[in-house]
Amino acid sequence: MSSKKLLLENAHIEGIRYYDVYRKNGGYRSVEKALKMSPDEVVEEVKKSGLRGRGGAGFPAGMKWSFIAKPEGVPRHLVCNADESEPGTFKDRYLMEFIPHLLIEGLIVSSYALGSNVTYIYIRGEYAWIPDILEQAIEEAKANGFLGKNILNSGFDCEIYVQRGAGAYICGEETALIESLEGKRGNPRIKPPFPAVKGAWDRPTVVNNVETLAAVAPIINIGGEEYAKIGVGRSTGTKLISACGNINKPGVYEIDMTISVEEFIYSDEWCGGIKNGKRLKACIPGGSSVPILPANLLLKTAKGEPRMMNYESLADGGFATGTMMGSGGFIVLDEDQCVVKHTYTLARFYRHESCGQCSPCREGTGWMEKLLLRLDQGQGKMSDIDLLWDIQSKIEGNTICPLGDAAAWPVAAAIRHFRDEFEWHITNAAEAQTRNFGLAHYADPLPVSEPVAV
Amino acid sequence: MADEIKQEPPANFKVTIDNVTLEVPPGTTILQAARMVGGDVAPPAMCFYTPLKGSGGKCRTCLVEVSKGSEKDPRPMPKLVASCRTTVMDGMEVKNITSERVINARNSVVEFLLINHPLDCPICDQAGECHLQDLSYEHGKEGTRYEFKRRTFKKHNLGKYIQLHMTRCILCYRCVFTADQLTNKRQHGILDRGDHAEIATYIEKSLDNEFIGNVIDVCPVGALTDRTFRFKNRVWFTKPVDAHRDCPNCCGKVTLWERGNEVLRVTARKDPWGEILPAEDGKTGWICNECRFEKKDIKDWVIEGPMKVARHSVIGANHYEVLDLPRETIPEVMGGRAPKLLMNIHSISDVNDPAIDLSKIPGPATGEVFDRKKLTEEKKD
Repeated sequence: MSSKKLLLENAHIEGIRYYDVYRKNGGYRSVEKALKMSPDEVVEEVKKSGLRGRGGAGFPAGMKWSFIAKPEGVPRHLVCNADESEPGTFKDRYLMEFIPHLLIEGLIVSSYALGSNVTYIYIRGEYAWIPDILEQAIEEAKANGFLGKNILNSGFDCEIYVQRGAGAYICGEETALIESLEGKRGNPRIKPPFPAVKGAWDRPTVVNNVETLAAVAPIINIGGEEYAKIGVGRSTGTKLISACGNINKPGVYEIDMTISVEEFIYSDEWCGGIKNGKRLKACIPGGSSVPILPANLLLKTAKGEPRMMNYESLADGGFATGTMMGSGGFIVLDEDQCVVKHTYTLARFYRHESCGQCSPCREGTGWMEKLLLRLDQGQGKMSDIDLLWDIQSKIEGNTICPLGDAAAWPVAAAIRHFRDEFEWHITNAAEAQTRNFGLAHYADPLPVSEPVAV
Repeated sequence: MADEIKQEPPANFKVTIDNVTLEVPPGTTILQAARMVGGDVAPPAMCFYTPLKGSGGKCRTCLVEVSKGSEKDPRPMPKLVASCRTTVMDGMEVKNITSERVINARNSVVEFLLINHPLDCPICDQAGECHLQDLSYEHGKEGTRYEFKRRTFKKHNLGKYIQLHMTRCILCYRCVFTADQLTNKRQHGILDRGDHAEIATYIEKSLDNEFIGNVIDVCPVGALTDRTFRFKNRVWFTKPVDAHRDCPNCCGKVTLWERGNEVLRVTARKDPWGEILPAEDGKTGWICNECRFEKKDIKDWVIEGPMKVARHSVIGANHYEVLDLPRETIPEVMGGRAPKLLMNIHSISDVNDPAIDLSKIPGPATGEVFDRKKLTEEKKD
């Protein structure tokens, strides 16, 4: 079954990076169409499409747009969040690198809808070569009258600027991104006020993910209602999944959210199965901060239904037996991977990336990292597992921004589903240094052991 | 802030905090409302400082539960909120010490704050007036579950007046806001991030601005200390008196910390929440470096009287009328009779005679020094 492509439809065409080829293949049609509509009609179209934010939280984009405050005489801004730093997620890079004009096109339409005359792309510092690609695309769009003053004689002015970040994960959080964009230290702000009321330079601001904004172009082209027909339920449209880990064909795939997780992993069209004929142990389906799931819960929900690649199905069962769609960073772990080491790696990442502003996250992430390192090195104690559980539960929900939650969830899920592996690392400390726990029962048919009590 | 509240009478919001209902003007934060109630209802605040714009929300010790959002929208807030940065709504119901969630969260925040803190109170100048000390006394555990090396930093002198001991810092950002808002050129800020973040000046720059000394006052812990006072005395041995002088730069209203007739330290005046007093006749409560560091002579000052010391503070021990005396329980249980001393230590001990000046004895005192016979003979001579 081939899934419908909207974003990456033309990505394979040679030279699509350049304006001429992009335009020949139907590029910038949505701008021409949108500028004939009123901004409110464009917002309405996006609302109808049911497009959900592709950055991780999955908040409906049209609704977010309708929240923007419109005070008289105050400019508004659209900011494109290209600070894609979640381990396992690399879909935006692919999009910006190969079809930058799609993003620019989506940005122009979105800027028009929101009334943003100055729009920013905030890109992470590590994507050192991509700002050049984007800036070239912006130049080309400008030369052809799609940017600048009075675009296509509609009276709408728009400029897009690319701002390079310095490479901090926290700057992917929208208020930290705004702070960084203003030239300050990238610390998240305390909400409220929300960016839609007071964002960059205290002006109403909307921050959206690259993929979300790029998806606006096809939505305008085919119409919101048509877009909403793709996919299933409230998971409308197509989603880019960046698959990596122990699979035969890692890469960026566009799916229409009607396929099952099993099909996605094992079908030759997508990931092509587990590498070297190994068996599936676990998977993080939405980037490093969403809960990890063992194979049996990943492929089938707790109710025994096959799990599908969409927002609702992945979240089925809550955090006890489910996970999240997140940003679409699909990380597959085969039977040779050690969950303890893996969790330690993630904890180390979050410790390093915590901004240090609020106490639970600043101190808690470091503590979790040290405990996990000790467990991984075989010097842990049985009480460390409960301590870890306790620490993560005290970080979660008590922090300014979601980084605390993002640091707590992977640890919580690893202990919830892989507690026996943690215990094995303590009881068989010497053996744990020489071999892995293996697949154990993680792929056994459901029902699995009860999740530990909170 | 307190002044503003008095000036705005119309359309007050009704808010209930820990079952105490009061009316406050719109725009009041939950913390400010709780402080009007006072006592245990007021959540602790380590990073929020009313005169500093933008402060608060970071330490998470003031988290409270909002069990009813407002009259219009009675839904409870799903997460605990930072009371210092959340404004009240009409009909809001807040739970602070009546909520188990809040108590648990606060205890865990205190635990987090203490895992990297050196706990060197016995040698710390802030001891006795340290908010973290109070907080850990109220909410901390006696033991720690943290079994790793604590984060440490070298001490830095930020110019000739201020010493930075980053190891004790809880990164409340108060000093950063102070330096940002009081001085025209900020030279210190936060470097790095996460648990290795530090307050620092870039390349060991010294801080020379006439209001920079206020960072010492706002520091809730012993991270920023007064170099002219370091190790001179424990604060509870000093006598705080309010004084003023005619200062061309600042309000000149200060608290002197005296021992005998010696002025050991000068600080700004603070309210019971550890914040500097609000502005009077156009001048803020911040004091300048000259008043703080240079005027250490009693002649420089006009003494107004003893400082009113908060009940909870150890500085208050043995001082002043505002102190509530502990209930005299022994006469009470003994039916009004005073307890009889079993023995008077001065009369039975050989080695405790207040008449003898130990500093005049060569070497350590022994029983021989206190020999009664010898003493009486010496007196005769």
